[in-house]
Amino acid sequence: MGYRAKIALAGAALVALGASASVTAAMAEEKKPITWWYETAAPENQEALQKLLVEPFNAAHPGESLSIDFRGAELDKQLRIAMLSGSGPDVVYTAGPSYVASMAQAGQLLPLDDYAAKLGWNDRVLPVFLELGKYNGKLYALPKTYETLGLFYNKTLFEKNGWQPPKTIAELETLADAMKAKGLVPFAAGNADWRPSNEHYVSIVLNSIAGPENVYKALNGEIPWTAEPFVKAIDTLNNWWQKGYFGPNYFSLTGEQAFAQVATGQAGMAPTGTWNFQNVPRYFPQNNAVPGFVGFPSAEGVPYPIYALGIGSTFSIANSSQNPDGAAEVIDYVFSDKFYGDMNTVWQGEWNTPLKDLSKVQIGADVLPLYGETMKNLAASVSDGQYGYTTWTFLPPATDTYLVSGMEEVWLGKITTAQFLEKLDATFKEEKAAGKVPAVPKR
Amino acid sequence: MWLYLVPTLAINVVIILIPALLTVALAFFQWDGISAPVFIGLGNFAALWSDGPFWTALQNNLIWTALFLTVPIGMGLLAASLLLVVPRRGSTLFQVVYFLPVIIATAITARVWQGMIYSPVTGVFGYLQKLGLPIVNPLSQTSTALFGVATVDLWHWWGFLCVIFFAALRQVPQEQIEAARIEGASFWQMMRYVLLPGIRPTIMLMMIMTVIWSFLVFDFVYILTQGGPAFSSEVLSTLAYRKAFYDLNVGQAAATALVISLFGLVATFFYIRIQSRESV
Repeated sequence: MGYRAKIALAGAALVALGASASVTAAMAEEKKPITWWYETAAPENQEALQKLLVEPFNAAHPGESLSIDFRGAELDKQLRIAMLSGSGPDVVYTAGPSYVASMAQAGQLLPLDDYAAKLGWNDRVLPVFLELGKYNGKLYALPKTYETLGLFYNKTLFEKNGWQPPKTIAELETLADAMKAKGLVPFAAGNADWRPSNEHYVSIVLNSIAGPENVYKALNGEIPWTAEPFVKAIDTLNNWWQKGYFGPNYFSLTGEQAFAQVATGQAGMAPTGTWNFQNVPRYFPQNNAVPGFVGFPSAEGVPYPIYALGIGSTFSIANSSQNPDGAAEVIDYVFSDKFYGDMNTVWQGEWNTPLKDLSKVQIGADVLPLYGETMKNLAASVSDGQYGYTTWTFLPPATDTYLVSGMEEVWLGKITTAQFLEKLDATFKEEKAAGKVPAVPKR
Repeated sequence: MWLYLVPTLAINVVIILIPALLTVALAFFQWDGISAPVFIGLGNFAALWSDGPFWTALQNNLIWTALFLTVPIGMGLLAASLLLVVPRRGSTLFQVVYFLPVIIATAITARVWQGMIYSPVTGVFGYLQKLGLPIVNPLSQTSTALFGVATVDLWHWWGFLCVIFFAALRQVPQEQIEAARIEGASFWQMMRYVLLPGIRPTIMLMMIMTVIWSFLVFDFVYILTQGGPAFSSEVLSTLAYRKAFYDLNVGQAAATALVISLFGLVATFFYIRIQSRESV
């Protein structure tokens, strides 16, 4: 091809490009775009979002055009940079309340109080979670999904051995010793793929042994983390480790490998979160085992069960959004009974939106009944105030990351419980002074 | 002539100089990556000074450097000199075999070792345990975690050095080798007096690069142990990463990064000095 021909071709390409750009611009004028950046999702889950959210939403709102952009595991970092430069999406999907506080502080988010009143969120969403999205008295975020910790167990194995799910710490320890005597690992647990799994167990003992009232006081700075109830909680957790309840391979197993051991009967129970419901159909049926899930046992003086609340991600609207009303309608759609039912039929554990009343929700018939039951029990318990606080949702970031490594140091005998709690308390105080502690709902 | 330099200079300014200067500046600020940075002088360095994990990480980087200055370089030299003895066709095969781990993506190498070798459930170590050997996953012990990670990096790395050294050995003038052989030099004498002195610049360069790379090590540690258990395999880069992206403490992360650069800078200084001395 000659030099001139090349130039002519390039020119033609440019003209074509310009023409197509102006066509899309014209189309966009009719429909107002709403952008939303989502985190990593498996192909079938991306398809579920497209079919159950994007398509029905756009059909129901002819004037709007929602698009979801899958940004992968780095979403959180991309989002922070984009928000700084005012070029982020309309629907802001953060990794949790501690991010919301910082973004609201920096003026990057729009207060949602008017939308909450107008669209009826105040009546539909569990009040605790509305409190959690507040910063300086204004609502900035709604949680996408909430999770809790409890005890999964193998019903088949329990029936064979005549065991009952424990309700107190004493019963739990007796049962764990019995399991050990039979050569079973009492707690199926592993952190090889996700070191922060350590904090699942810390959250459990803080809430079920020290009790949610004490955790609440500590989060508000009324008592230090070095107070006696926390010492007792961490000492107990350390004692379980030293007695071998966590088995010999905690640092080698991935969370999923460990959970599978409950199904195979190599381990007795798994103190872990509701997200593991997605692993139940993968392992229990093929091992001919029936799964069970109960609240984690409580120490004396602490009500049973306490469900520690955790939030995976949150929804906000960017202050720089050109279409905040459209973004609010998307959030409103996510908080509908229909969307809850549709989404939880195909994708469990990731879309447990904090609706107050799940009685009208229809989940598909193929879904494990235990899941629907657990979620309904949980919503009812939270409504009655029987809830606690997970460390990953309520502790400020540096305190939380210290807790993950610090607990390992206690388990491995590098530091004592007292030293661990002292450093935890010091980090927490520093972050509290800097305004980094997320909102804590009143009890 | 100046125009010729513009493209490379522009790229260097935009993707190296500006971020580097910003990092240096951020080391003196308290910043969460979201709100406005606050100047705190040497506060970040003071915080690192009294931070236990920082010293553990620095110590681990030094152990790592010592390990990589000796073991893979020794293995590479030994294998390269053996390749000299092997007939030509055999040496090509060995070169390919030694070099293969270098071209596998680090994430895959790390996962293979973690899942298929070290794992007590799915790996070779688990199989050996079942046979009754008292063997444990090194990544799960505080005393061995760092060495467990280093072994994986070593396996992936030494073949590269071997191929580099072999290429350098073949550049040693044939006359010198012939002369030594006629004088009746043994293999070891040949190594000591002819071959090693002949490739000294290559060895020096690799050693200096090893120091720089050892302070930058991140991928294998992050994938295999994330610095654990209990900080036992923490290195400066994983510490900086955690401070920046988990603790939302970008200032301290920048200060940690400066410490990493400091060691790299010292190594670079020696490299340039040796280079300029040799070119005279």
